[in-house]
This record gives sequence, structure tokens and C-alpha cells, in this order.
Amino acid sequence: MNPSLALAAAAAFFVALLLLSNRQEQVEEVEVLGSPGQQTHNRFRSLPAFSPVELANRIFSKDDREFIARTRSPRLQQLYKQERRKVALQWVRCTSREVSRIMRNHRLGSRQSTNLNVAAESKLFCQYVELRLLCGMLLLLIRLFGPHALMDMAAHAGELYQRLGRRMTDDVVTP
Amino acid sequence: MLLMIIWGVGTVLEILVLIRGSKQKLFHQFPLFYLYLLFVAMDDVIRVISARWLPNHYFQIYWVTQFICLALGCGIIFEIYRVALRSFPGAARMARYLLLFVFGAIFVKTLANSSSDLFVWLAKTSLLLERSLRITQALAILTLVALFAWYAIPFGKNLKGILFGYSLFIAMRIGQFVLWSYSWEQIKPYWAYAETGSYLLVLGIWTVTLWSAQAVPQTQRDATLESDYELLLHATRAQFRRTLARLGWAARA
Repeated sequence: MNPSLALAAAAAFFVALLLLSNRQEQVEEVEVLGSPGQQTHNRFRSLPAFSPVELANRIFSKDDREFIARTRSPRLQQLYKQERRKVALQWVRCTSREVSRIMRNHRLGSRQSTNLNVAAESKLFCQYVELRLLCGMLLLLIRLFGPHALMDMAAHAGELYQRLGRRMTDDVVTP
Repeated sequence: MLLMIIWGVGTVLEILVLIRGSKQKLFHQFPLFYLYLLFVAMDDVIRVISARWLPNHYFQIYWVTQFICLALGCGIIFEIYRVALRSFPGAARMARYLLLFVFGAIFVKTLANSSSDLFVWLAKTSLLLERSLRITQALAILTLVALFAWYAIPFGKNLKGILFGYSLFIAMRIGQFVLWSYSWEQIKPYWAYAETGSYLLVLGIWTVTLWSAQAVPQTQRDATLESDYELLLHATRAQFRRTLARLGWAARA
């Protein structure tokens, strides 16, 4: 197959995927926040009670999960998983939008600056891409494995590491 | 016969755009674009005369005029950059560096690909050279368009028309070259129609968008935005750091 044709097909596929994910995001957003009219109503009714860090603390906290686990109700656990996933996804999306807004303000300011530093601007762009990628990765992980996936993975890796370490020590002690 | 009609309509459109440009005083705003169009209009006449009365020299005349057109085409890209970024020194500075990078990369690639001598490669075929130059122009336009989108540069109807028309022309030219190199025998009977037909489409766009003058919208600086770049950079970095910390927390949670 012609490489340029393959490249064009890949680019088209990527754009289609991007559009699709964007559309899905919008649908999920409506599900979580309600219709645009309801959103305006909700915004006035519920002013932010937590700072962004506190909010992240609450959303990704394992305390809630443990509390629900103690109820030993599979239905409740299922419901908790579903709802917490939606809230976590929404939080990451809001953060991603915040990153875009910060960069947009920067662009609007820097385009008219007479002393723009090209190297600094390029570095900032890389940071922006890094942040957006991190948001994308978090979205993917939360969607696939739930909001506590990273912690579970880290715990699992730690456990595995400890087990391996123990086995290696045993091997050294008893040849 | 059909080819002659298309050619005739094209020449009429070229003259129409030139007349409207003169009446609307667009010559002063886009001098390089109108110089290009004037040369293309004259070029058509020169080619017809040489084909009829100097058939032995037609090939030389064709390629000389073609390369002058190419050089003037580069002038259009420069004009788009100049007019669009006039009020945006920061974005203009970024564009200069990006274009320098793109041209530098192309130059290095050309040097790396040339067999042993650059001039041997240049003399290989005129068509190959034109294709390479068109691809370079396309890359320059893509770089500028990406930069315009990134910095939200406002366009007037006229500038948008010039940019869109010329980009379309370049894209069609590259498309024709690709087709030409893959299946020349199959497309040979339609080549002349495709070439003149696509140019007619571009002229149509220019006629519509350059019918009346419309200035590039002036952007007022937002008073809430930081004017000093260093301070702005510092503020953006601080906000990014805070967000990164928040996301890092979420990842660790």
C-alpha cells in the first residue's frame, strides 16, 4: 500500500475518532449535568462548595469506596461505581477545559507581545500538550477501569514487587 | 473547443478581478497578489503568441514564465503573512521562526536526498522541480494556517479569499502532479481540462471574495490580559503547575 495513502487514511481515522469521542463526551455531559437550560439553573443553585483540590480529594477518595464496600450490597456498589465514574470523568473533562482556557488566554496575550520568546513559547506548548495528554490518559483509564484504577494498579504493582522481593530473599537464604 | 472556452472564461475572470481590485483600491493592500494575477494574465497571452508564432521556443518560454509565476506565488504567501500578522508582532515572530524551521528542514532533506551534486538534482527535470516547490509552498501555507488558527488571527473576507484560493490552487497542482507521476497515460487526455478547470474554480473564488474591499478586522488588546510577555508566561506556567499538581493528585489517588 502507498505510504502516503496509508498516512492519509490514518489521519482521517484519527479525526473521525476524535469527533466521535467529542460527541460521546457531549452526550455524557448532558446525562450528568442535564440539558443546557438545566445546567444554567444548576449553576446558580449549587455554587462550588469545595476548592478544586478538595473536590479531587473527594472524588478519588478510597474512603467512600470502602464505606460502600462495608454495606456488602452489590447493587449499591454497582451504583456507586457507575456514578463515581461519571463524576470523575466530568472532573477530568472540566480540568481539561480549564487547561484549554489558560492556554487560550495565554495565546491571546502573547500574539500581540513585542518581546515573545520563541523557545519559552515552544516549551509552554509542550507543557500544554503534556497536560492534555495526561487528561486524555486519565479519561481513558477512568472509562476503562474506573476512578480508582491507578491506585489499584499501583497497589497491585507494590504487592507484586514485595512478593517478588520476598521470593528472591527466600532463594538467597535457601539455595 | 471546450478548452478554448474554459481558457477564455479564465482570462475574462482574471481581467475582472484586476479591474475590481483597481476600483476597490485593493492593489495597495495586496500588491504582490495583484502583480501575480497581472503576470498570469499576461502570461496566457505570451504563451498563446509563442505557441502560434514561435513554436520552437514554446517550451523555453513556458518554463521561464512558469517559474516566474512560482516566484510570484511565494510572494503571495509572504503577503498573506505580512497582512494577517501586521497587528500581531508576537505571532509574526513565531511564524518567522516556524517558517525558517520548515524551510531549513526541506533544505536539509533536499541535500540529503541529492545524489552528489545539488545542481545535478536541480537540472533533473523542470516538472520535478516545480512539484518540489509546490510542496514547499503547501508546507509554508499549512504552517501559516496552523499558526493563524492557534493564535486566533482574524481575517477579512479579501485575505481569506486570497488564502483559500491560492491554497486550493496549490493543493490541486500537487494533486495533478501525484496523478501525473502515477498514471500519466490514463490522465493524459484530461490533463489540460483538469489544469484549466481547477484554475477556473480558483479564479471564481477570487472573483467572489475580492469583488469589494473589506478591511482586515482590527483587534483591540484585551485590558484583562497581561501585556508583558515575561509576566504572562510566568502566570501561565504557575496556572499549569497548579493544574498539573491537581491532575497528579488524581492520578495518585
